[in-house]
Amino acid sequence: MSPNIRVLRDIKARHGVNANEIARRAYLYVARNASLPASVRYQAQLQLNTFGRYTRPTTVKNRCAESGKGRGIMSEFALSRFQFRLKARAGELPGVHKASW
Amino acid sequence: MATIAASRIAALNRLRCSIFQTSYNPQSIRTGAKYLRARLKGPSMINYYPPEVNMATFVKGFPDEGFVDLDEEQRLQDVIDKKKRGKGAPKKAKTPEESRRNKKRR
Repeated sequence: MSPNIRVLRDIKARHGVNANEIARRAYLYVARNASLPASVRYQAQLQLNTFGRYTRPTTVKNRCAESGKGRGIMSEFALSRFQFRLKARAGELPGVHKASW
Repeated sequence: MATIAASRIAALNRLRCSIFQTSYNPQSIRTGAKYLRARLKGPSMINYYPPEVNMATFVKGFPDEGFVDLDEEQRLQDVIDKKKRGKGAPKKAKTPEESRRNKKRR
C-alpha cells in the first residue's frame, strides 16, 4: 500500500531531524550551559529558533507502516493494533502467534 | 562521632572527580552535557518505515534497464489529452496580483 500524506510528512520530518541533529545538539549545549555568558546562550537560543519545523525530533511520530494510522501503534512492528492482528493471524510476523492455554 | 569539616569533604570530592575523570561541579550548575552525551536518534529514526518497493523506484534506480512504469505513462498521456481538450491545469500566477486566491476573497 502506498503511504498517505501523513506518513510522507513523517518521513520528511525523520530525514530533517537526521540531517540537522548534530547542529541542533551543539546549539542546545550552548543554550543550556549555565556556565556560559547569558548573551552567548541567548544567541544560541535564537539560532535554535531558526531551525525549521521538520528538524525537531518531537515532530516525528511513529505511524502504522501499513495503514498510516497514528494511534494504537505497536512500535516494534511499526503496525497499528488492527494491522498487527491481521498480519499475525496471516503468519506474516515471525515468532508471533495467538496465545492459547 | 567526630564531625568532618565541609572543606575536607569538598577536597575529597574534587580528588574523587580527578581520579574517576568526572567533572567537579559542587554547585550542580547545568552544563548542557546531557545534550552531548545522549545518543543520536536520527540514524535509527530514518529506518522506521520499511523501504517502499514499486515500479517507480525500479525506473528511478535502474534508468538503463528499460523498465516502464505503465501507470505513470498513462497518467502523463492523460495530462496531454486533457490539455488538448482545454481541460489542463490553470496557469501559475507570476505575481501576487494575478493570484486567483485574491480574487475569490474580494
